[in-house]
Amino acid sequence: MSNPAPVVNPSTASSSTSVTRVTPSRRLFHTIEGVFNEEVFFLILCVFIGIFSGLAVVCFRLAIDWTHLALLGPLPQTHNWRLLAVPSLAGLVVAILVMHVFPGIRGSGVNQTKSALYIFNGFIPFRTAIGKFICSGIAIGSGQSLGPEDPSLQIGASIASALGRQLEISREKLRLMAPVGAAAGLAAAFNAPISAVLFVIEEVIGRWSAGILGSVVLSAVASVVIVRSFLGSEPLFRIPVTAFKGPSELLAYAVLGIVGGVASVIFAKSIGYLRPRLKALPRWTQYFQPALAGLLVGLIGFLGFPQVMGAGYGSMDEAMHGQYAWKVLALLAVFKIIATTVSFVSGTPGGMFAPTLFIGAMLGGAVGGVEHIFFPHLTGSTSTYVLVGMGVLFAGFLRVPMTSVFMVLEVSGNYEIIVPVIVANTFSYLVSRGLQAVPIFDLLTRQDGLILPSLEEDREEAILRVEDAMLPVPTTVLSAQDYVDANFRRVQDSTESAFLVRMHPSGWNITTREKLQRLYQEGKGELTLASVLSAQSLPSLYPDLPLDSAIRYVNDYSLIPVVNRADSHRLEGVVSRDSVFRKYGGRSAVEVPSAT
Amino acid sequence: MSWKVPRLIPRSAPIILLILTLAAASGFAAVSHFVSRYNANQQARGRKLYAQGQSDIQVGRYEDTIAAFRAALSCDPTNSQYQLSLARALRDSNDPRRLDEAESYLLDLWQRTPQDAAINLALARVEAHRGDVENATRYYHNAMYGVWDSDPDGNRNRARIELIKFLLQRNARAQADSELIALAASLPPDPNAHLQAAQLFEQAQDYSGALAQYEQVLRIDPSNSEALAGAGETAYRPGNYTVAQRYLRMAVDHNPEDSASRQLLASTDLVLGANPFHSHISDAERNRRITAAFAQAEDRLDHCALQSGVDLKATNNLPSSSALPGLQARWLLTQPDLKLLRSPAETDLPDAIMDIVFQIEQQTAATCGPPEGLDLALLLISKKREAASQ
Repeated sequence: MSNPAPVVNPSTASSSTSVTRVTPSRRLFHTIEGVFNEEVFFLILCVFIGIFSGLAVVCFRLAIDWTHLALLGPLPQTHNWRLLAVPSLAGLVVAILVMHVFPGIRGSGVNQTKSALYIFNGFIPFRTAIGKFICSGIAIGSGQSLGPEDPSLQIGASIASALGRQLEISREKLRLMAPVGAAAGLAAAFNAPISAVLFVIEEVIGRWSAGILGSVVLSAVASVVIVRSFLGSEPLFRIPVTAFKGPSELLAYAVLGIVGGVASVIFAKSIGYLRPRLKALPRWTQYFQPALAGLLVGLIGFLGFPQVMGAGYGSMDEAMHGQYAWKVLALLAVFKIIATTVSFVSGTPGGMFAPTLFIGAMLGGAVGGVEHIFFPHLTGSTSTYVLVGMGVLFAGFLRVPMTSVFMVLEVSGNYEIIVPVIVANTFSYLVSRGLQAVPIFDLLTRQDGLILPSLEEDREEAILRVEDAMLPVPTTVLSAQDYVDANFRRVQDSTESAFLVRMHPSGWNITTREKLQRLYQEGKGELTLASVLSAQSLPSLYPDLPLDSAIRYVNDYSLIPVVNRADSHRLEGVVSRDSVFRKYGGRSAVEVPSAT
Repeated sequence: MSWKVPRLIPRSAPIILLILTLAAASGFAAVSHFVSRYNANQQARGRKLYAQGQSDIQVGRYEDTIAAFRAALSCDPTNSQYQLSLARALRDSNDPRRLDEAESYLLDLWQRTPQDAAINLALARVEAHRGDVENATRYYHNAMYGVWDSDPDGNRNRARIELIKFLLQRNARAQADSELIALAASLPPDPNAHLQAAQLFEQAQDYSGALAQYEQVLRIDPSNSEALAGAGETAYRPGNYTVAQRYLRMAVDHNPEDSASRQLLASTDLVLGANPFHSHISDAERNRRITAAFAQAEDRLDHCALQSGVDLKATNNLPSSSALPGLQARWLLTQPDLKLLRSPAETDLPDAIMDIVFQIEQQTAATCGPPEGLDLALLLISKKREAASQ
C-alpha cells in the first residue's frame, strides 16, 4: 500500500463531518494512523513476515521429521527394503503432485525469489508455499538427498509476497517482500540469522541500503526468535573443541580449499549437464524421474550408506566427532554428490544447501584424514576440517564467499577457526570461479530461459571510473580573481576553446574564448572574471567516482574538472563528453552469457 | 488453477496491524498446540528407545545401545539424561574414536550445568580414558566439589578414590599422595571406607598412612581381622617389626587360617629373635646372635656356591666372575674375630662381623634367589640397617 493513511472508510468520513461527533477513541485512532508512513509500516510488516515465516518453517521441519519417522523409522538400517521402496514411491507421488497440482515448485527457490524481485514485481504464488511444503516434506522425509533450507526460503518468500499483495503496498516495496520473506525462511531453517541476511543480500538483492538491511534483518531475527521459542536454541551441530594453532597449517586448509573447489565444480557441472537433458525427455518420463532418483538414492543407502539419505545433519554431526575413517568420509562425499545430483535434476523439489554442507563436511574430514597420514604433526582436529569443509563447498558451489564464512562461524560459534575458513573458502571460490565461469544459480536460471542479473558478475565486473576517462590538466586554467582583459590575453593564442576558471575561495566555473572576447569588447576588461561569470558553479568530480556519475553532466558542460578529494582547488584532470563516451564505446549495453 | 486469498483486509494501518497481530497470535497458538503434541509423541518414542538402549547395555551390546540412545536423543534433543547416557555408552564402548563425541555431549551438558557433579565425573572419566592427567584431575575435582543429587559425602569420597586409583595407574604418586591425605581427612567412621583408604595408601607405598587407616578401623572394630592383618603387613614392610609382630599375632589369633599373616609373623619373629642390634638385649645375647648369624651366613654361602656351580676352594686364589669366593675369603678372615666379641674394647667388632654377614646374605640373594628362614631374617635386618643409616 502506497500510503495507508489517506484511505478512509466511508462511514468514518461521514462521521467526521461533525466535530462534536469525534470521540476520543476515534481521535486516538487517527493519531495512531498518522504515525504510520509507508517506511514504518513496511518495517513493522517485515517483523510479521518473520513471525509467519518462522511459524511455517517450524511446521515444515516437524513435517519432515514426522514423515521421516513414519516412512523410514527412527533408525534406518542398511539392507532394509524400506530404503528402496520408500523414496521410490514417494518420488512417484511427488512427481504427480508437481505435474498436476503444483507445477511452479520445480527448481530453486533462490531463483524463484530472484525472479520475483527482478521480473514479476515481487509476485510469488501462495500455492508455491503450499506445494513446497507438501512436496519437499514428502521428498526429504522419504530420504531424497535434498535439504529443507531452499524450500523454507521459498515458503518465506511466498508468504511475504502474498501478504504484500493483499495489503497493496507499493510496487517498489512489493518487489522487496520476496527477499525479505526469503531471509526469514532461510534464517529459520538454519537457525542462523546473520548468514541468512548475508545470503539474501549477497545472492538475491545484491545491494545494501539502510532500508533493505533493516527490513531483511528484522524479518530474519523475528523468524529465528519464533523457531527458537519452539525448537530450542541449540545449534544445528554439537561442535566439539576446535582450534587453529599454527600458521603453517594454513597450507593444509588451502589444499582443502582447492580440493573443495574442484569438487564444487564437478557437482555443479553434473547438475548443469544432466538437468537440461532430463528436462528434454518426453513428458511422461517426468512421472518416473523422481522415483528413479529415489530408487538410486535408496540403493546407495541399502548398500551401506544410509547417511546420504535426507538432509544428513545427523551424519555431519557424527563426522564432526570423528565417527568415520577418512575413506568412509570420501565415499560419503562422492555418493552424496551422486545422490543430490540425481535427486535435484529429476525435478524433485528440495534444496541444495544441506547437501552442500554435507559434501563439504565429508570432504573436509577426508582431506583432513589424508593430510594427517602424510603430516602427522598437524594439530587440526577432524572436527575443524569438517567445519572448514562445509564452508569450502558453500563458497565453491553456491559461490557466496561472505555467507560461507559467516555460516561456519554461526553454526560453530567458534571464532578461532575464522582464519582457516577464510583461507580455504577463498581458494575454493577462486578455483571454482576459474573452472566454471557461471555460478550454479545463474546456470539454473539460464537453463530455465530467464535472464536474471548475476550478482557475482556484478561483483566481479571491472567498474569504469572517472580516472579512466580523465584527460590531462589543460595548459590554461584561468583565475576568477584576475581581470577579464588579462584572462583574454592569456587565451588569445590558445588552441582550446573552453577554459576552466578557478573560483575564489572555492569551486570551479567555465568560460570560452568568445565570451571573454565579447566581454573585452563590451569594455568590461577592467572587471574581475568572478564578477561577470554566472554565480552557478561548475560541478566537479573525483577520480575514484564511477564513470556513470560523469554522464549526467557531460551534456551540459564541455569540460568537467576532476579534483583532488583533499584539496578541491587542485586539479587532477578533466573529463569531456567525448572522453567519457569514448571509454564506454568499447562495451555493448547488455552482455548475455551462454547457458553452458 | 488460480488460488487467490479473498481481499478482506480494510485499508487502515492500525486495523491491518491489529489483524496481523491477531493472526500471528492465532498462528502461534496453533503451532504451539501442534508442537506440543508432536513433542509429546516424540518424548514417548524417546522413552521407548531409551528403555531399549538400557536393556541393550546390560548385555553389553554397545552398538545397539548407542544407536538406541542416539535415536532417543533425536526424539528428545534436550533430554539431559539421554545425552548423559549416550555419552557414557560412547565412552564405555572401547572405541577411542568415540571419546570425542562423548566429550562433545558432556561438554554440551556441562555448559548448561557446570556445577553438576555427575557430568563432571563423566567428563573426568572421558579424560581418564584418554590418559590426560591434568584435565581428568580438573574434572574429578569439579565432581568432588560439585552438586550431587544424593549422598554428596559418599559420592565425593568415591570420586576422590577413583581419582587416586587413576593417578596411581598413571604413576602420578605425588598427586595421589596429596589426594590420599585429603581422603583420609574426610572419611566417615566407617571401617570399610578406612580399609579401602588403607589399601590405596599401600598401593601408593605410603605404609605409615596405610597403618594409620588400619588402626582407625581397629579403633572402631578391634577384632577386624582384615585390618589386623593389614596393619601387621603395613608395619612389616617398612621394618617396623615390633608393631608388625603385635598386629600379626592378633591377626593369626583371630583368624588362624590366615596363612599370609602367619608366614609374615614367622619372619617377624625370626627378625626380632636374630637382630643383634636390638636395644633391649644383653651383651651375651647379642654375641650369641652375632655368632649364630655368622654361622648361618657361611651355610648360606656354601649352599649358594653349590647351587650356582661355584667351587669356593678351587677358585680361591683365582680371579672369578662370581663374588662368592671373595666373600668366603672375607668370611674366613673375619672368623678369628668372633673370639674377641667378649672384649669390651672391641666396640666396632659387632658391626664389622655383621657387615660381612649382610654382604653374604645380599649377594647370595642376588645370585641364588630370595632366601628363607633365618637367612631371610638376616637379609631384612640388613635392609633395615641400610635404610636407617641412609
